[in-house]
Amino acid sequence: MSVRRSNFASTTAIYAMLSPTFLLLAVFSLVPFVWAFVTSFFDYEVGGEFRFVGMDNYTEYLHDPTLLPSFGNLLFLTLFGLLVVSTVPLAIAKLIFCLKSERARYLYRVLFLIPIVVPGVAGMMIWQGMIYNDTGLLNETLRLFGREDLTRGWLSDPRTVLWAVVFMGFPFAGGINILIYYAGLAGISESIHEAAELDGARGLIKFLKVDVPLVLSQVKLLTILTVIGTVQGFEGMFILTKGGPGFKTMVPGLWMYMNAFSFQRMGYACAIGVILFLLILGLTVLNMKYFRSTEDLKAEGV
Amino acid sequence: MVIVLGLATWALWPRGASPSGTDAHTHTDSQPRKYTIRVAPGIYLPGTRPQDLGSPLKGLADVTRAFEKLYPDTRIEFTAAPVGQREYLITQLAAGQAPDIINVNVGDVWQDVQKGWYLPLDKYLEEPNPFIPKGQPGSKQWWDQFKYQAISRSKTAPDGKVYCVTYDMVETGIFYNKSIFAKLGLHVPRDWSEFLQIQLKLKEAGITPFLADSGSIADWGVDLIFNQLYGSIIPGIKIKRDPSREAHLSRFFDWDELAYLNTKGFFTRRDPRFIETFRLLKGWRQFFEKDMSTSNLTKEFVTQRGAMYWTGSWEVNRLTRDPDVGFDWGLFYLPPIPQSFDRFADGHDQCVIGGSGTQFEVTNSAFVDTGNPETSEKLKRAIAFIQFLTVPKNVDHVVNEISCFLPNVVGADPKPELKPFDTILQREFANTKWLFTFDLRFDEIMRRMLDLYINGGISEDEFMSWMETNVKTACDTIVRRKRIDLSKFDAKWKELAPLRVGMKELPSER
Repeated sequence: MSVRRSNFASTTAIYAMLSPTFLLLAVFSLVPFVWAFVTSFFDYEVGGEFRFVGMDNYTEYLHDPTLLPSFGNLLFLTLFGLLVVSTVPLAIAKLIFCLKSERARYLYRVLFLIPIVVPGVAGMMIWQGMIYNDTGLLNETLRLFGREDLTRGWLSDPRTVLWAVVFMGFPFAGGINILIYYAGLAGISESIHEAAELDGARGLIKFLKVDVPLVLSQVKLLTILTVIGTVQGFEGMFILTKGGPGFKTMVPGLWMYMNAFSFQRMGYACAIGVILFLLILGLTVLNMKYFRSTEDLKAEGV
Repeated sequence: MVIVLGLATWALWPRGASPSGTDAHTHTDSQPRKYTIRVAPGIYLPGTRPQDLGSPLKGLADVTRAFEKLYPDTRIEFTAAPVGQREYLITQLAAGQAPDIINVNVGDVWQDVQKGWYLPLDKYLEEPNPFIPKGQPGSKQWWDQFKYQAISRSKTAPDGKVYCVTYDMVETGIFYNKSIFAKLGLHVPRDWSEFLQIQLKLKEAGITPFLADSGSIADWGVDLIFNQLYGSIIPGIKIKRDPSREAHLSRFFDWDELAYLNTKGFFTRRDPRFIETFRLLKGWRQFFEKDMSTSNLTKEFVTQRGAMYWTGSWEVNRLTRDPDVGFDWGLFYLPPIPQSFDRFADGHDQCVIGGSGTQFEVTNSAFVDTGNPETSEKLKRAIAFIQFLTVPKNVDHVVNEISCFLPNVVGADPKPELKPFDTILQREFANTKWLFTFDLRFDEIMRRMLDLYINGGISEDEFMSWMETNVKTACDTIVRRKRIDLSKFDAKWKELAPLRVGMKELPSER
């Protein structure tokens, strides 16, 4: 009896300690989500009345002229982001890992991590002002070589704007992603490398055949984070282009924001938000189900 | 460690608020008073230097001190709150925390009038201004004080009420570099053909002929070209006649008229004038600066890389005070489009597109003391403050401290350098304010797609498809939201049929 009572007390204490966290989570994350879901069935402006419209907000969005361009942009940004996140940081992590000196490895890890202290917004402003501006690095370089004809507003020219946006942060070499891959590489047993070398695997072949399959867990993690970040994120576009020129860089998240806070169409914005939620959920489930991590491969005996 | 502690202490040390910062607050003293009126006065914020030129402003602070002497229980507190940012304003208004008196474009206010966030001012405008001596304009009705009556009264919201006091006037004009014009033997153009020829010569001389941003083209450009191309057919399609409107606004299309005309094929791809409006803008685009979105146009003009600059009266302040302006400049208005240039035009003078630069609205925060405007003592003081501001000598002291806008009060003359704008403001008003007639979604889409079209991002057909859908959606929305019965115009439309006979290329009705 006393053991049961002790277990009960212990369990109660754990729940009591968890409850503040859960309460805050509920108030600031779960309730707003439910609220947004409910609001998506209403025509609602801030300060106005709720008017039930059923699925109208959803059907309207399906006919919204920004739907196709914005999801097209989102697809492009996501694919580009995935390409970058699965190649450059991994290659750099491998290069650092291959350094002989532990001190050098440490130094380079720190150096590549330092850029994350610069806020993302500040980084964008730097690119916008110093690189893409009319008198920025790109145009001035072109002028230096007498190619005034090639100068342009890189962020306002519809032909260049999307590429200008995705190339911000080039050469994509800083940040936490390198450390994630580095940790994955560090977790690979030395004996596996030795065995691969005995089998004649060297250099790039060893990297592709041994290292890459063994860091798939990290690839999977970064893939999920990149997809979620790209679908949810719109602040970059908001700061740089406001989704323009036209809708050339519009993304669904930004259109959601504009409908909510510029046009005050909260119900409509919530409907877009719910669609984005379902999209992220679907992509994550697909990723979890079909993208096999290192552990999955081990479990399958591959 | 010492350095870190030192930096932390420096960062946390309390400082006085900077008047130029966005959170700046200024008031005249720290004496406790019963009522505090928070005012976001826009460009006249005491202590700031508009366009970073001249001495810090003090005109409004002077006037406020005089007001506070009359009302010892009231403190006026100024704020640089970003009320022009819609996201900020909406959240503050919804929470009842917005400044009591704000300066916001009426287009934004109209979106929200049904929510009770703003106070209708008709009652006060129809009563005397207590600060005006008997026999002077304003002593019978506050309304009488305003110089540009038609524009001021055109600020009436869709619900028929007035929510703003139009304090000053702003108008656009084309500033041109006289030195460059003289050097190339150019003169002020008399019509559109000459205007384009001048720009061609400037371009051939390696000078950017015309400086204008995309926003101005979507706003002013569309309204002016529209007026030129539709001017001759207005007698046959103007279905509302409001005798209470003065001649200044007699040709203006309200949203219900636009919605009705849209059902008759106007503003669609079946309307050649509508297509031509945007086609002319695109043709003109070749003479503008390369990057219409991010170029610093003032810098381009001041450094003489651009010969003409289409901007507002506020630029006079810079051009008269900036020591870097080393050339003579002049001002002219957009010239008319002759029929020889475009088959739809008839060569009549360009219309006026300006309006109030500063307009004061009273928010729901102003009667928070009782929650009832009828009984609020705080509100009485807020209204009194605006009335006090519109006394001619006070307007003169505030508005004419800088050379940006023209006083909108009888008895307060504009500064000499702004007088050309006074002449422009006497013209007939534009037929439409496309960007401000419908909702903000319409505005957003039109701006974006026009920008894309004139910069070669989409074809004319694609652009017209967007515009057609945009106009239709906006018309449908306004008819639904305002519960407008368009059939009331049928009789007038039939009555005007004889006038439309002989008018060429009207859109076919379906």
